[in-house]
Amino acid sequence: MSRILVAEDDPHILRLISLWLTRQGHTVVEARNGIAARELVQAEPVDVLVCDVNMPGLDGLSLIEGLRSTTHVRRGVVVLTNRWDHGDLRERLAAEGIQVLPKPFSPTRLSEVVAALLAAVPVEPGGREPGPT
Amino acid sequence: MSAQETPSSPRPVSGPLQRLWSGALPEVLSAGCVAVLLAAVGALYLLTDLAWEAAAPGRGLPDALRWRWGLVTVGAVLLIAFLYRRLRRQARPLAAVQRNLEQLAAGVERDLATLALSDALGQVAQGWNRLIGQLGEAQRQLRTLSAGPTPENVLARFESAGFRRVLDRLPFGVLCVDARHALRYANGAAAVWLGRPAGELIGLPAAQVLDNEAVRQALLAVRTRASTLSVDHTQQDGEHETTLRFRVLPPADGAPGGDVLVTIEDIGALRETERARDHFLYHVTHELRTPLTNIAAYAETLTKPEFEDEQTRKECYNVIVSETRRLSRLVEDILSISQLEVGTARLNPGEVDLARLLRQMVQDNLGAADDKQIDLTLTLPPKVPKLRGDKQKLSVLVNNLVGNALKYTPRGGQVQVVLDVTEQAVRIVVRDNGIGISPADQARVFEKFYRAADDAVQSVTGTGLGLAIAREVARLHGGDITLTSVPQQGSTFTVELPLTTGESAEVARG
Repeated sequence: MSRILVAEDDPHILRLISLWLTRQGHTVVEARNGIAARELVQAEPVDVLVCDVNMPGLDGLSLIEGLRSTTHVRRGVVVLTNRWDHGDLRERLAAEGIQVLPKPFSPTRLSEVVAALLAAVPVEPGGREPGPT
Repeated sequence: MSAQETPSSPRPVSGPLQRLWSGALPEVLSAGCVAVLLAAVGALYLLTDLAWEAAAPGRGLPDALRWRWGLVTVGAVLLIAFLYRRLRRQARPLAAVQRNLEQLAAGVERDLATLALSDALGQVAQGWNRLIGQLGEAQRQLRTLSAGPTPENVLARFESAGFRRVLDRLPFGVLCVDARHALRYANGAAAVWLGRPAGELIGLPAAQVLDNEAVRQALLAVRTRASTLSVDHTQQDGEHETTLRFRVLPPADGAPGGDVLVTIEDIGALRETERARDHFLYHVTHELRTPLTNIAAYAETLTKPEFEDEQTRKECYNVIVSETRRLSRLVEDILSISQLEVGTARLNPGEVDLARLLRQMVQDNLGAADDKQIDLTLTLPPKVPKLRGDKQKLSVLVNNLVGNALKYTPRGGQVQVVLDVTEQAVRIVVRDNGIGISPADQARVFEKFYRAADDAVQSVTGTGLGLAIAREVARLHGGDITLTSVPQQGSTFTVELPLTTGESAEVARG
């Protein structure tokens, strides 16, 4: 069982992602904004971070930037965005191995992306075992 | 062809004697020749006679003959003197004509009338004068033709018609640059943009006046083109930034040596409008995507067998229905605010029964109030004046304020709608004891798509357009909305609408 943090300010989308990922057997932690997400991930590392870009307080990109040099996110990040320039964003983030899904997104596709991240061999040599520590 | 048929030339002087008297050249010359001959013969004869008489007295002519020859000689000499005077009189205008012709040939501007001869010179003079007249006419026609729409002629005409003053009042600059790249004309606005009086600009090289390389290049390039060139130039004046758009128009009729026209326009306001439009579009697409994302994702959930349980399905349906409503409300609000802002929204003025309108709006919101157990009340004064305004738009205004108050007031709270009436205005007050608005946000809540960043606001769905629309409606009625609020204690929105607007002097009495 993997631990996934979902940071999303729209309650309906947050609820939906949570619903799908829970059904797939993951433990889902919910955050309504960037600051709450940062606190949660710092308190306990997660396997995957799913986050929105436009969020009050601390936006998704700043959140990712702050977590880059840490090991708080073990397997990968998925960014959801309704920015019109998501093409540029995807290109930029692809270099860091971050997946970008433009909104409206398919929850099936999101589940697949999360599953792929979890199935992949950890990038970090001697990476920790997946699952809560 | 008979002699009668030839066109008779004008004959102002009839008889030969008359012509001789008036000094007509052929007659004077013929008479002169005869007179000179007679005088010469007479003088010779008399001199011979005198010589003979001196050599041998008594061998000269007889006295009678001597007298006759003497008279003839004297008469001939007198005639010569007379004819000489006549000729001198005629020669004077001829000399003047010759002088004027010489000056004309040397390039000095002379009126053709100075070349006319006196009629006394007869047919030659008449023919000459006719020729001069025709030449003058041809010259006049040529001038009219060449006074076509070349810029300098146009400007000359403008000058005379007072149009230069019109050009000076234009909100954009106009410059005229001639083939030598010198400024031929600058209107008032151009003088202001270029920072010098128009009088000082005329005659200056364009390159000296326009300190932008791209504009200078355009001035040269445009002479060989048919299309207008456009250059934007941003200049910093202290903290103030101005963006000028120079449009360089090719010479009229495509003549490379013609005058180039330059217009100068301040496009700062245009840029600002473009930025605002981009901002608006960005927000609109962002806001539309959110409900769309929800509808698409929840609909997809419904198609999956793993989410077949009754509770999940019901939740999905509910979200789809509510988000569809949100989407349609959003589209409606975007249309409203666009129309209100662009000014295409027209008030449909009529007599508005405010008491009735407020009762209706409170009634419509009672359901939402009950859901949150909010106490929604309406207080009306005993007498309510009829207001001149747009009933439908005022309903939207009140509905947006009441809906807003209900949204941001926690369960069990209170929302009061109060109508105040003064001599000149009515005041609709919507007061709640909800979450309130921070001072920083108070200044911005009326902006389009602005929503306060705190969780309490973000957890409530809204388009961020309701208050913007409300304020536009109030302003269209000549009024405005003010806000007082204390965070965690509540907000009070006050709409003030004048009873007499500039649009209608007709005041309804209470």
